Amino acid sequence: MSTTSGSDPSADAMTHTTSTTSPAAVRCEDLSRQYGEGEASVLAVDSVSLDFPHGQLTSIVGPSGSGKSTLMHVLAGLDRPTGGKVWVDGTQITGLSDSDLTELRRDKLGFIFQFFNLIPVLSAEENVMLPMRIAGRDTDPEWLEQLLGTVGIADRRKHRPAELSGGQQQRVAVARALISKPAVVFADEPTGNLDSTSSTHVLELLRRSVDELGRTVVIVTHDPRVASYADRVVLLVDGKVAEDTTVEGEDQVLALMRSV
Amino acid sequence: MLGLALRNFAARKFRAISTALAVFFGVAMVAGTLLINESVNRSFDNLFGEINAGIDVTVRDKMVVEDPFDQGPQAGFDAAVLDEISEVEGVEAAEGTIADIRISILGDDGERIGPPSGGPPHIALATGDVEDFASLTVIEGKTPSAPDEVAIDEDSAETEDFEIGDTVTITGAAGASDYTIVGITQFGSGDTSLGASLAQFTLEEAQRLTGKEGRFDEIDIAAAQGTTPEELAARVKEAVGPKFDVMTGSETASEDAGDITDDFGFLTTALLVFAGISVFVGGFLIFNTFSITVVQRTREFAMLRTLGASSRQVLGAVLAEAALIGLLASALGIAGGYGFVELVKLMFKGVGFELPVTGLRLTTQSVLVPILVGTFATIVAAMMPAVRATRVAPLEALRETGGSTETKERSSRKRTFTAGLLLVVAVVLLGLGLFVAEDEEAALSQMGGGLVLLFIAIAMLGGRFVPPIVSVIGAPIERLRGVTGLLARENAQREPQRTATTAAALMIGVALVVFVGVFASSLKASINDAIDDQLAGDLSVLNKDGFSPIPAGVGDGVAEIEGVDAVAPTVDLPVKTEETGDDLISGLEPGAASEVFNVEWVDGDDGTLSSLAQGEAIAEVGWLESNDLAIGDSVTITGPTDEELEVEIVGSVDDQVGLLVDSLAITRDSAREDLGARFDATVLMTYAEGADPAATRERVDAFLEERFPDTETRDQEEIKQDQAAQLDQLVALIYVLLGLSVIVSIFGVVNTLALTILERTRELGMLRAIGTSRSQVRRMVRYESVINSLLGTIVGTVIGLLLAIAAVQALADEGLSLSVPIALPFVVLIAAIVLGVLAAIRPARRASRLDVIESLQYE
Repeated sequence: MSTTSGSDPSADAMTHTTSTTSPAAVRCEDLSRQYGEGEASVLAVDSVSLDFPHGQLTSIVGPSGSGKSTLMHVLAGLDRPTGGKVWVDGTQITGLSDSDLTELRRDKLGFIFQFFNLIPVLSAEENVMLPMRIAGRDTDPEWLEQLLGTVGIADRRKHRPAELSGGQQQRVAVARALISKPAVVFADEPTGNLDSTSSTHVLELLRRSVDELGRTVVIVTHDPRVASYADRVVLLVDGKVAEDTTVEGEDQVLALMRSV
Repeated sequence: MLGLALRNFAARKFRAISTALAVFFGVAMVAGTLLINESVNRSFDNLFGEINAGIDVTVRDKMVVEDPFDQGPQAGFDAAVLDEISEVEGVEAAEGTIADIRISILGDDGERIGPPSGGPPHIALATGDVEDFASLTVIEGKTPSAPDEVAIDEDSAETEDFEIGDTVTITGAAGASDYTIVGITQFGSGDTSLGASLAQFTLEEAQRLTGKEGRFDEIDIAAAQGTTPEELAARVKEAVGPKFDVMTGSETASEDAGDITDDFGFLTTALLVFAGISVFVGGFLIFNTFSITVVQRTREFAMLRTLGASSRQVLGAVLAEAALIGLLASALGIAGGYGFVELVKLMFKGVGFELPVTGLRLTTQSVLVPILVGTFATIVAAMMPAVRATRVAPLEALRETGGSTETKERSSRKRTFTAGLLLVVAVVLLGLGLFVAEDEEAALSQMGGGLVLLFIAIAMLGGRFVPPIVSVIGAPIERLRGVTGLLARENAQREPQRTATTAAALMIGVALVVFVGVFASSLKASINDAIDDQLAGDLSVLNKDGFSPIPAGVGDGVAEIEGVDAVAPTVDLPVKTEETGDDLISGLEPGAASEVFNVEWVDGDDGTLSSLAQGEAIAEVGWLESNDLAIGDSVTITGPTDEELEVEIVGSVDDQVGLLVDSLAITRDSAREDLGARFDATVLMTYAEGADPAATRERVDAFLEERFPDTETRDQEEIKQDQAAQLDQLVALIYVLLGLSVIVSIFGVVNTLALTILERTRELGMLRAIGTSRSQVRRMVRYESVINSLLGTIVGTVIGLLLAIAAVQALADEGLSLSVPIALPFVVLIAAIVLGVLAAIRPARRASRLDVIESLQYE
């Protein structure tokens, strides 16, 4: 199922080239996030510098409390860093106002959550189109069809979330994250609430959205199996990048995580 | 479990307080009403105790007819009886006196001093010789000793800038006279007269001015040493016979105070009804808040159960929380009662009436009753949700989301059945009250009960019809506002029962507002129609206050004026008949009456009226039918002081509004001679052919100004306007009181929104994460709030309209026909939108400021 990294057209970007020609989807420099003051303070993210090139699937892994979720929140502009800078698609987002951040989310970001967080009163299709409607934009019907087909819920588009299985709900959530063709999709433990079959479906879907739709996806997980679907794995320990390497297989990722 | 309740309470202070506010208003209204009641009662007890101090026994004319609106002759009695009384053994001193409320003290502008209408009375008093009887002391100047001298009470003198030596005009039954102020008076104890203006004359002048020459209103008696007031009263009673009321001084005081406080008792009842409405609306809110929080805390209750808590303990915990909120609200409510007193005083001041509230005093009653009402209402309203909390199974602690849909479906069917049953009972009760009930009290209680059940039933059924109605209401918002409108509508439909209960609270207030508005408008239209149809006179003379009787001399005086043709003074006299008990009959001037009225004859013609003789009467056809009487029957009429007159019914007219004939009409002369009438209700006149109307009216006005300054002329249009204005004032008062209930229901919308937002925290976080802006979140909440308030308003308007239609239908035989003020529904709708927006301010702000990450992790 997994594709070899060599077949990825944008694999060159993995070599950490400077972003002068084509900016990375997400880039951070010397990024820190501290909670609290003085003795009780916790440095959840500690001077992290990373590049996430376009068209790549990256996993951020680490034990619980390693700061991986905080890193994702800061990268996505959901949380403000206490030090360092973040660029999304070449735009520096640190210090942006709430309304600018809202615009950023509309244009450049997609989210997939552990709890699927669909609106229960809207149909699957309406949930997928929701970000476009919120942004006041028209949905390209062809793109919608393609997406619904890709995630495999075209025939259940009129169903409400309660009438869908967990796996189906999460696939709706994936489609929702992709509808605006964002520069990057962040997925926070996207399979945390799914059985293994459904997990596989969703992960393959994320893989295909990178390979076939050319999206950039960042998954935050503590599950080595999930992480092994990525092109690249970043291991975070105590808020610092402990390892940043190409994925070769589940065993490799497992070993990496065990090494902590 | 009490500890847990306390913790919960403390942990959710804002919610606790906003829930408490739901009860607060009702409790404040109850407390304020009791405070007013106590103050009024105490004030009048004091006043009349003061007036009757030093008097052992009083003798008065015995009144056999109820006269709640003071329309009777109030003629006093023949002074000769004083001689008989003076000879009774044990009488130390006896003195006849005057106390007459048909006078007006005029200010410099020629108008009655004090409030323009319905205010406290102006009273003519006589100076006596027996010092012990006098309750007034002269604090400046002297007591009046000549016919053109008067002493005025201190309060009136102060507000009107009257000083010794000033000239003041005072009108009475005998017309207007000028007096020189020679004294300023005050009660011996320094108590106020509660707003009443007092004019003290010599006895002879008091008798002359009030048209009671050779008559007294009361004889005051002091007992000789060794004779108790009770013994003396018994002896005097024997001497004067059954035509008189003989009472001891203290009996007199409590009776006089009782008469007045009974009038205020109506106010107390009315205010308590509005307080009840407010508590009822608050109950909906409590119910809804607890219902929502119980669902939200499903896991908490399940967890408690897994830890070994019994279902009774869970019930106790919820009810204890309710009791705490109820107690808090009630305690605050008592403080709020003082505010309510001020509001009521202000309201009455707005319509020119000063409430005699002097010094508020908390009593056991005014503390306990509100606390009990508030706490009890809260607990009752929280009962159902509390019972639901006990049904939470321990297993649900382990589930991701609480509340299974199966039980929901089943309980919803049961609920529909119960609601349907309630609805039927409500409609039956309303029907009984409106169309069947014989006496007023039964009708009112049946209608009240019917309304309560109706509102509950509609709230319960609401779950069924909320989705379609909200779809309609939400459609325009959705079209105009796009996705935020769509989400707002979907959110409002998500928990239909919750939306229904929230809207129902508002529905109650709106339904009553619309009902009152439509009913008043119908009443106005009916009166206008009756005036248009039946009043043929060009001009009427009325008391300036619009309802008090006018001196009998007006008619004769007006008849002399150039340009005036027919003059028809009309008497309204409270009487009793065997058939109907207390009733109001008319005394008509046979010759002129048909000139100024377009009589709709059922039996007879204008000739019947013009030839009406003593011993004959014309009847209103509805009155005739409802008393099973017919033309040719005889009716015995009993006058205010037990005069009897037998009349034969010789004709009947159709006069549903009762403009000319409410029950029976006899001749004015007969009313005066046989039944003791002394005043007229109005004098109608026509202008002579060829007379200049404006000039004639000017001459009539000039005459009245000179001779009867507390009367004025009104043409047909002006009468209609006066009637409308009076009704509008009443409606305004009712609206202010209903407004408090509407405020309560708005807190309901606020509470529901706040709780719903809490419930949807994660959803809101997601919406923000996928690009929803803060202002979009605010808008979404605002639209949901507007949908909620529109729902309550639209349903309320429909119900109010239906109720008004039913009430008007029920009163059709009183001449009432439906008239809907077109502007009202629109005003109400716009108000609903404004209220919805206001209610959303805080919840919307909270929703938009939710931290995205925290929201996403919220459980």
